[in-house]
Amino acid sequence: MIARRNLGVGVRTLLATLLVILAGFPLYWILNTAITPKDTLYTGGQRLIPDVSRAGHLFSILVTDRSFLRWITNSTVVALGTTVTSLLMATLAAYALSRYRFFGKGIMGFGFFATQMLPEALLVVPLYSLFASLGMLNQLYGLVLANTAFAMPVATFILKAAMDAIPYEMEESARVDGCGALSILQIMVVPLIAPSMAAAAVIAFFDGWNEYLFATTFITDERKWTASTGLASFIGDFLIPLDTVFSGAFLFAVPAVVFFLVMQRRIVSGLTAGSVKG
Amino acid sequence: MAVSQATRAPRRPRRPRGPLAPYAFAGAAALYLVLFAGVPILKGVQLSVTDTQLINPNGGSSVGLDNYAALVGDEVFLRSVVTTIVYAFCTVAGSLLLGTVSAVVLNRAFPGRFLARAVAVMPWAVPTVAVVMVFRWIFNNDNGVANAGLSALGIGARGWLTDPSYGMPSVLVATVWKVTPFVMLVVLAALQAVPEELYEAARVDGAGMYSTFTTIVLPHLMPTLRIVGLLMTIWSFRRFEIIWLLTGGGPAGVTSTIVISVYEQAFGNSRLGFAAAIGVLGLLLSLAVTLVYFVIETRTERKNRVAA
Repeated sequence: MIARRNLGVGVRTLLATLLVILAGFPLYWILNTAITPKDTLYTGGQRLIPDVSRAGHLFSILVTDRSFLRWITNSTVVALGTTVTSLLMATLAAYALSRYRFFGKGIMGFGFFATQMLPEALLVVPLYSLFASLGMLNQLYGLVLANTAFAMPVATFILKAAMDAIPYEMEESARVDGCGALSILQIMVVPLIAPSMAAAAVIAFFDGWNEYLFATTFITDERKWTASTGLASFIGDFLIPLDTVFSGAFLFAVPAVVFFLVMQRRIVSGLTAGSVKG
Repeated sequence: MAVSQATRAPRRPRRPRGPLAPYAFAGAAALYLVLFAGVPILKGVQLSVTDTQLINPNGGSSVGLDNYAALVGDEVFLRSVVTTIVYAFCTVAGSLLLGTVSAVVLNRAFPGRFLARAVAVMPWAVPTVAVVMVFRWIFNNDNGVANAGLSALGIGARGWLTDPSYGMPSVLVATVWKVTPFVMLVVLAALQAVPEELYEAARVDGAGMYSTFTTIVLPHLMPTLRIVGLLMTIWSFRRFEIIWLLTGGGPAGVTSTIVISVYEQAFGNSRLGFAAAIGVLGLLLSLAVTLVYFVIETRTERKNRVAA
């Protein structure tokens, strides 16, 4: 028995180590490439352990390319906008789906789910002509509106699952005291589902932060590019040194990774609320 | 669910704000999706029966079902369907397997678990464009670390992104790396719902790791794995960015999935109408898979109810 237990621990440690290497290596390689001199990169001299004294080169893109900061700012605007619009609508919709029975509920649930099947590559053409006719091309809020169509349904599912887990009886007493549904939602429900709100917020934020296809198609003005578009424009462009490009990739990835790690515990418990209910 | 509503119903009226309240709550979201997803998709379906060109997006004329008829015998299209199915199957199977194993490994306490968990979820947070950049560099023919490693082992270099036999495996590696943490997180969340007593009972019965997993853990995870599997499948059918930026559908079209052809036909060949028809067929594929899922789900639910 004890031997078997020890074997289990050994296998577990081995698997965990392997997992960390597999998951971590490409991230480490971004960092490594960003601080390796470009001449070394192009002569096959990149080492597994780079020269750490060059760590300052992680930020080289900030010095060489002044538009990078503007792209990051644009991405932040799009990501925050997507988060706010998605969560506002999703919270209200989730409350309706969780607490009421009404005509059209089934269709609505299916419609929300169906958005996850829609290929952006197909939607991008009709959306382009819609945005063109509304004068929303080259506008960051246009991207917010497009991204919200994908982020909001996901947020709705997460929040609905969390609300389903809250006993309805709690709200009834408030209702007897004359509280309206909207204030019940605000005062009682939202604080209780805070972990799920955080999970939904992170997911919506990443949708906006990472999105590439809409950003590239709808925004042609370079000053309004997001970081996705800007960095992708470096792919296959040999004028900009590779170490600088990877400095950009690193700085683009770091906020998302850090933000995610800070919220990780809440994301797991937010998702738990959904899966426990099943 | 049904039971709790039955006990709740006689106590108090459920809708103090009248029957319009749910519509007021869900109205904004529903209207929004109609405008920004429903209308564009209908517009896409309408485009698919025209010969519209990119240069004149509002000037196409109707061609009936010609675009669809042309697709039926089109070898390139059929190949893109097969490519999509292969891509979807491998990413779904790979991420479900790796994600479940990772979750099970990281669920039990061991020294350094916090760090291991943090590293394991990171790929999910890394923006796709950054993922593509690093994998293009790792798979670079002359200076990439993949080939450097192979040479060090005495195995020759491969054209990861340039040789047709390695194009799909390379795209799969990058995709599975990026999407597995999502599966892992959801499974990790679902594992919290497995009662501790069951593990205890298995231990008392002298069950090993493997049999504990198959008899105790897996049955608890199945509903979660099914819905995650569905999501992963329909997401792989529409996944565009990682493939487009890594290979552009190449080398020699081996990674050209349905959505890649849609984009290529629309923006490369300027054939909006034809592209839309491909996109609509792709969407039907997703719908079919979703339908199969719901049929299976209703059946298992009914079976479980009979068993209980």
